[in-house]
Amino acid sequence: MKNALAVFRTATAEAAANRRSLGFQMAIMIANDVAWVGFWILFFRKVGEVRGWDANRMLVLFAILTTLGGIALGLFSNCRHVGRLAAGGELDHVLTLPVDPLAYTLTRKIEPIFLGDLAFGVVLFVLAGDLTVERTLLYLAASLCGAAVLIGFLVFGGSLTFFSRGRGEAGELGFQAILLLSSYPLEIFGGATKVLLFTAVPAAFVSGLPTRLVEDFDVVTAAVLVAAAAGFLGLGSFTFRLGLRRYTSGALWTRA
Amino acid sequence: MNIYRAAFAAGFGRAVRQPGDLAVRAGFYLLLLLTFAALWNAATAAQGGDIEGYTFAALVWYVVAAEGAVNATKPRLIEEIGDAIGSGLIAVEMLRPVSVVGFRLAAETGEALARVLAVVVPGAVVVLLAEGPPPSSAGALLAVPSLVLAFGCNLAGQHVFAASAFWVNDAKATWFLYQKFVFLLGGMLLPLEFLPGGLEFWARTLPFWTMAYAPARLLSGRAEPMLLLGQVVWLVALVAAALAVFGAGERRLQVAGG
Repeated sequence: MKNALAVFRTATAEAAANRRSLGFQMAIMIANDVAWVGFWILFFRKVGEVRGWDANRMLVLFAILTTLGGIALGLFSNCRHVGRLAAGGELDHVLTLPVDPLAYTLTRKIEPIFLGDLAFGVVLFVLAGDLTVERTLLYLAASLCGAAVLIGFLVFGGSLTFFSRGRGEAGELGFQAILLLSSYPLEIFGGATKVLLFTAVPAAFVSGLPTRLVEDFDVVTAAVLVAAAAGFLGLGSFTFRLGLRRYTSGALWTRA
Repeated sequence: MNIYRAAFAAGFGRAVRQPGDLAVRAGFYLLLLLTFAALWNAATAAQGGDIEGYTFAALVWYVVAAEGAVNATKPRLIEEIGDAIGSGLIAVEMLRPVSVVGFRLAAETGEALARVLAVVVPGAVVVLLAEGPPPSSAGALLAVPSLVLAFGCNLAGQHVFAASAFWVNDAKATWFLYQKFVFLLGGMLLPLEFLPGGLEFWARTLPFWTMAYAPARLLSGRAEPMLLLGQVVWLVALVAAALAVFGAGERRLQVAGG
């Protein structure tokens, strides 16, 4: 833990070193998020309420999604790149260090553009989240759990590359799929798709249940979400460690 | 002309030789279809069957064409062109006895054609099996050339925007801006009829509707040949604009150095 924090501090300093670039990249992502908010406002303005969802509830989902996306893809950005690093044999230098390889890989790099998501999510929740102390605490806890599920799932998907010997395509498809499916209300999906959202592409645990918790808290949903967060982190970690045994060097000395 | 044909063929071959990339695109495209189908199913049901004259089946076919046309092009093409300008690669390409932008457009069109086939064909088959044929056969026939014109306009438009890198050295911001224009004003996410009055006016005035809305409107059951004519006019204008701005940028490189 101490090592991971030290590595994380270095990554933070590296990201903050070029403040102009950091601000520019964050601004780009915020503009991107504003466009999506525009889409949802236009959508609900035209169709009204859909299965209990209106523009306001959608903005809460979007606030949670951008916050947890900022945490997972911004602060632990390599969770998205495990497949590429494994496929390219780019983990050599990690294995020479006396630290936990997964913790080091995850904390090594911050992606400034996704910090724009994090900032946007917080501001959006303050503006549209019907702020109370209870809802704010639930928003923070739910976002952290969603981020944990996302990180675990992405590490798991990327680690499959150790076994499949591809170029990380499965991990990339998994990334695109979970982000896409997390961006929509759980209630619009039915039947087999809903089963998919709770299993193979666990988008329900990333944004669906966290939003439900903030809107209408109940202990069972909270327990399921915490268990899912722990479960996916464990699954990702286990698959990565198992995959490392099959890792072959690409003779590339990169700083992952 | 043979050189441009060769660039087109090379681009097509390059895309086909990357089955992993095509598979990811096709998989993502099918997920997009699934997601939008769920969304429009819930929305049309809430509205009593149709929205602005679009039934659920019409909206699903709309998504097939709109997403297919946009997914045919590289998502970060503007950024790539900007990097090529910034790194000096374009300066090397200027040594060839052909138009830089013409050569690039020909190669990208070849790649886009391979991608559109890889994503739209399986997508259309899935929707055909699930929802039946497109609402209008004439509209569906017109949608085929319209799809090609759509990614042609998109590629030319991206080159126009990317040329800003000749002057500002970084096209990243331009890429984000352009992408959002195509998403909202181009009708990729919502048919233009769903936009409020002022926004709909600008969406129909700017060229982005040619890149997603036109083939999508045709495939959703409206056989409106004027859409194709509009696309042809905009394609000519966008290619001319791309040639002009690249010409100005190349002259700047020759004078100031790359």
